[in-house]
Amino acid sequence: MWSSAGWPRRSRKAALPDRAAPRLPPSIRVIERGWLSANNIVLFDGEEASLVDSGYVAHAPQTLALVREVLQERTLARLLNTHVHSDHVGGNAALAREFGCEIRVPSGSVEALSAWNEDALLLSSADQRGERFAFDALIAPGERWEMGGLEWRAWSAPGHDMDALVFYCEQARLLISGDALWQDGFGILFVELLGEDWDRGKGLAGVRQTLDMIGSLAIDVVIPGHGPAFEDVEAALERAYGRLRAFEEDPARIARNALRGCLTFAMMDLRRMPLADLPDYLARVPLFREANARFLQMGSGALADWLVRDLVRSGALRVEGDWLLAPDSQQRHQLHQLRTGGGFSAPLGGGGGT
Amino acid sequence: MNPPVASPCINVCRMDEQTGLCAGCLRTLDEIASWGQASNARRLEILQHVEQRRLASTLAEGGVA
Repeated sequence: MWSSAGWPRRSRKAALPDRAAPRLPPSIRVIERGWLSANNIVLFDGEEASLVDSGYVAHAPQTLALVREVLQERTLARLLNTHVHSDHVGGNAALAREFGCEIRVPSGSVEALSAWNEDALLLSSADQRGERFAFDALIAPGERWEMGGLEWRAWSAPGHDMDALVFYCEQARLLISGDALWQDGFGILFVELLGEDWDRGKGLAGVRQTLDMIGSLAIDVVIPGHGPAFEDVEAALERAYGRLRAFEEDPARIARNALRGCLTFAMMDLRRMPLADLPDYLARVPLFREANARFLQMGSGALADWLVRDLVRSGALRVEGDWLLAPDSQQRHQLHQLRTGGGFSAPLGGGGGT
Repeated sequence: MNPPVASPCINVCRMDEQTGLCAGCLRTLDEIASWGQASNARRLEILQHVEQRRLASTLAEGGVA
């Protein structure tokens, strides 16, 4: 199976000069959109296919259409989730309805999912939306299975989500990393913000354990939960360790990172909000309220002012009159940059996103 | 590997049934699905298509066309 996957190890350097992404085995397709929907990774096995992660619920109809486009005549046999946050499982229910696929979730999330605990699933607690789904099987750390003509093994990857998994293929030296490792950073450490007192420090310790684990694997290409697949794992790990150290030295950074990322994420979903409503929103939604209360202790007006200033400056949000808006002209901006010789950059760099 | 041309996705991600294009980024399903593995040349080509569509829809809305 390994050779039939046709991994072009030796020919990588001879690929198209304008190649934008690392080459992947032909049995793997990555559907990459913006940040609100996690990447959808489709892996082919003859007439069948598997899908890793299903995006955000608001995007579910398009996710179905995209998966259908990629599948062509194949059937979707199963859907696996790296972790159960809203941007990774939002299309689960719709995909199961459409394709009748089996759904497998990380074993550690069984309680939150069985009870559909909207706080534990970061739905009500972070003002995110989801659709309840039924799962068919659990994936435990250490479990092995085949998809895309390759053998995969699940590894425990605590930190961003304490029950998260990453999927590793030793023969193709591929890692599906979820939000445990991105090209620039890793997902928000929710347990430090919303966890109980006795959970303090577990997110940080989890990240270190996860980065050490990933560092011990032989990896050529990482397919992250958000952003393009990337090759330079060493550099990504170095950036992630750097961010982890900064968090360890000044835990308030965990909160600032989370507030930026979660407001950007919420605005991608809401699209617009009266600026005057933001202080109340930050005081009402538990994630913002708790992050501020634990680490920053700012007045909600001052917190709103800081967030707006910061996120407008970075281009993550914009203000028009009395409204706070999600960016809607990314593409024009890019073309302008292209014409003026400027470079391209990711819309949400750093440790943003959820 | 060259720096990748960034995606025009603005997280709207909803297909417009009339145009067959995403209401957010004005791409077709194929253009969205293939973006991840597309070369920079192909990405720029898609961005040009998007720009033309945006211009056309702006003109149509304004009644100029």
